[in-house]
Amino acid sequence: MRVVIAEDAAMMREGLVRLLTDRGFEVCAAVADADALRSAVAEAVPDVAVIDIRMPPTHTDEGLRAAIELRRDHPGMGVLVFSQYVETRYATRLLADRPAGVGYLLKDRVADVADFVDALTRVASGGTALDPEVVGHLMRAGPDTAGLASLTPREREVLALMAEGRSNAGIAAALVITPGVVEKHVANIFAKLGLPSSDNDNRRVLAVLRHVSG
Amino acid sequence: MTGDNGLMTALRAPFTTLALRQAVFCVAGVVSAVAILAVPAVVPAAGALILWATGAMSQQPAPAVAPVFLVLFPLTIALLVVLAAPLGRAMGAAHRHLAARLLDAHVDPPPARRSKWVADGPGWRAIGYGLLKVPLAIPEGYGAFCYVFGVANLSYPVWWPLFRNHPPGTTLGPVWALTPFGTIGTRTFAGTFGIAAAGLAMLLVAPWLMRAGIAADLAAMRRLLGPRRLAERVRELQVSRAQAIDDAAAMMRRLERDLHDGAQIRLATLAMNLGMAAEKLGADGPPPDLAQARELVALAHRGAKDALADLRDLVRGIHPPVLDNGLGDALATLATSSAIPVAVHVELPGRPAPAIETIAYFCAAELLANAAKHSRAGRIGLSVVRSGDRLTLTVEDDGAGGANPDGPGLSGLARRIAVVDGRMRVHSPAGGPTRVEIELPTYV
Repeated sequence: MRVVIAEDAAMMREGLVRLLTDRGFEVCAAVADADALRSAVAEAVPDVAVIDIRMPPTHTDEGLRAAIELRRDHPGMGVLVFSQYVETRYATRLLADRPAGVGYLLKDRVADVADFVDALTRVASGGTALDPEVVGHLMRAGPDTAGLASLTPREREVLALMAEGRSNAGIAAALVITPGVVEKHVANIFAKLGLPSSDNDNRRVLAVLRHVSG
Repeated sequence: MTGDNGLMTALRAPFTTLALRQAVFCVAGVVSAVAILAVPAVVPAAGALILWATGAMSQQPAPAVAPVFLVLFPLTIALLVVLAAPLGRAMGAAHRHLAARLLDAHVDPPPARRSKWVADGPGWRAIGYGLLKVPLAIPEGYGAFCYVFGVANLSYPVWWPLFRNHPPGTTLGPVWALTPFGTIGTRTFAGTFGIAAAGLAMLLVAPWLMRAGIAADLAAMRRLLGPRRLAERVRELQVSRAQAIDDAAAMMRRLERDLHDGAQIRLATLAMNLGMAAEKLGADGPPPDLAQARELVALAHRGAKDALADLRDLVRGIHPPVLDNGLGDALATLATSSAIPVAVHVELPGRPAPAIETIAYFCAAELLANAAKHSRAGRIGLSVVRSGDRLTLTVEDDGAGGANPDGPGLSGLARRIAVVDGRMRVHSPAGGPTRVEIELPTYV
């Protein structure tokens, strides 16, 4: 799988290159700012780009703007945005037009190598990876707090994991339950929230995200 | 009793050193009033001088007179307007100094000027004082006149026998004496006692005249040469408050940036390396890749130490812990980390307010950093001296000079110290040496 990395802190950039190479990814380019990222993506056409939000010259949200732009120009490419803290506002901007092939994670998540690699793979193959922090914010601040209140605690956990973009198998592994139990929870959640049920992971995540983030 | 005391005081008043100092102040006042009156005469005088120097005066008719005055007059007026504020400030400073030295009356100086141009409230108020000085100098001059000529008149009987010892029959003109009511003359020794009596009267009246003039003068000084009027002070405080808020916000932003780009990224990388190392070690059983795991742990170890160093620097930047032991210790520590040798001299009886210590410390740190960066100096002197309720921080170096007080570094420093009514003076001619003095109050 071909990856382009845009991260301005050299230490982190080198670490990511090492980690991803070690895990069998092909790192086509590792750059330090948004302009270099654009030309690297145009040249390499990777499967997925890992983009730091804050980069030179203004150190505000140039990474995010570049990510939105790249998603528009390269619909087939996955974009994983990562940053040292998550802003719900950034997440909704990123998910706004088409919440597929996109991820938004805290930088801390790279510490759990397997999870990070899993999220990156998901994003590269058109899935979603949302940081639990973002999902938590969205669920707290979303429009349907009454509907969420009707869920059991376990169902809320399952909903949160779905919103992060995980598959049934992934949810089952995270909660240490059988996939059958997960399916039952999912069915209950969809019924309680009045969502159209779907077997397709992606469409399911979209439904959940639309529901929690409005 | 009180009546007697009052009388004694009145009789003794002319013979105190205070009266003498008042007389000197009054004479100086008259001199400066005359000088101020002479300023408008500069225009015609300069014109006449030019005409005389060019020889235009001697030509008949003098064709150059009108054009010279037409050019010279507006030029001089413009020059006077431009120079008025700084000249006013200089004159005000001289008068404050005189009052402090001679009368022990201390008027605080106005704040340093902000704009380089004509708009300078305190400068113009000092000009107002200069104009007021002319009428104020009248009672002062009158008092000084009575004092000086009172003494002179009183002495007439003493020196009469010394000079009027001519042979009998010599016809002499009368001897004249000056009084406020005109001159009086006498041809006889007895007459000199009349003059002496007039002198005594003048001498007794003189201190009160001088005092009246000086009291009015000091009131004018406090109003016009002192710190700003309330409205100006309020405006100044508004400006400095806005700066303080901006600085605080900028400081928080800088802190966030430093943490974000420094310790936070180091810790994230460290966590990543440990995560990778954990994978290389495997969950149980023999480690799948021990060599790589070792390398990653070593990397993480180094990263942790770097993160600690980063945090330490950051913490020191927020508030150096050694500052809790006092400014002296903190500055000595600061000096040891300078690339250029620094001689530290701290003379601080008692400790200033913590906020002042912090400001002084960071000023010193910035000035030392500036010197290290730009001065190419061989040695730096750093001193903190307290006098009364002000402390003065001086940093001087023997470097290349040319420091710009309006540059971002020094002007930023000036803004920060203005928040506590501090002042900065920069003396840095091209070629050096550089001397920066920062004056701060000892309390906020």
